Amino acid sequence: MREITSSPFFGITLCVFTYTFYQRLQHRFHTPLLNPMLWTVVTIIAVLQLFGIPIEDFNQGGDIISLFLSPATAVLAVSIFNQLSVLKKNLLPILGGCFVGAVTSITSVILLSKAFGLEEQIQTALIPKSVTTPIAMAVSEQMGGLVPVTVAAVVVTGIIGCVCTPFLLRVLRIKDPVTAGIAIGACSHALGTTKAIEISETHGAMSGIAIGMSGILTVLITLFL
Amino acid sequence: MAILLQIGVVLLICLLSEIVSLLLPFPFPGSVIAMIILFILLAAGVIKVGHIRQKAEFMLKNMAFFFIPAGVGIMEYFDVLKSCIVPFIVICVVSTILTFAATAGTVALIMRLQHRYRGRKGGDQDA
Repeated sequence: MREITSSPFFGITLCVFTYTFYQRLQHRFHTPLLNPMLWTVVTIIAVLQLFGIPIEDFNQGGDIISLFLSPATAVLAVSIFNQLSVLKKNLLPILGGCFVGAVTSITSVILLSKAFGLEEQIQTALIPKSVTTPIAMAVSEQMGGLVPVTVAAVVVTGIIGCVCTPFLLRVLRIKDPVTAGIAIGACSHALGTTKAIEISETHGAMSGIAIGMSGILTVLITLFL
Repeated sequence: MAILLQIGVVLLICLLSEIVSLLLPFPFPGSVIAMIILFILLAAGVIKVGHIRQKAEFMLKNMAFFFIPAGVGIMEYFDVLKSCIVPFIVICVVSTILTFAATAGTVALIMRLQHRYRGRKGGDQDA
């Protein structure tokens, strides 16, 4: 059995087929609660636990997939570049919004962690929770946080964004697509952006810009922590 | 451009970013450096969006997929998380809502200030 599970092909195929299964499921039922990434992770953990497969075996293939986190972040530059004219026109509000958003996110995490008396390693891991995973992982790693806790926090935050932002837009009476898009991207990165894309094209594009912008600003701010 | 070459271009940028990351006097994530390098190359016209369009679309569309192994990694830390699951969830929810409101408020405020300033100048068409 170990001969099979320790093959890199095991981890990769497990990820691909589980993920595409949940993608189809979400396609049919259209609810943010059926987030394919979340349920793929839950399912794979359950499978590994159930059959007693060591995570080292899974990571033979998993590490190969993780290798593509860096190129995945790099190509965000393309989506920002595509929206250059909107970006130029609203540069000041976008920069200001993302900066205040990043500061709010970081400050609120630190204050709340202190209030709950959380360990330093966990507090640090939660700090970059509102930015896109590869950046959040890098920030957490460099600051000495528990990286898997960061990944969990990023995913949970993204799902909260998917579920809550349409409601928040209504309660706070936000109609301007630039304002809405930037706020969605700044608080809940790529997962929130999937929701923004559903609302309108401008919402999605602005949210996309906010992913990159908040990511860079968070990296810069944490350099001073 | 052929897919293989598109992948090669993006991976080459990632390799360059690792080199830049080593040369920087302070720690900075290589993936973000790769994003900045690619943006500069696009802005400078060295790379055209068309050169890497399919690769970029593929990666952006399937972005979540590449995070799965990192998410599965959490099972090694179940014991750590178990002790703080309530604060973990509360912090994520409260902080996300605060961040959303603060960001939206700031964007709206700066836009309003800009409009008022442009309105006073009277010349700008979008004021």
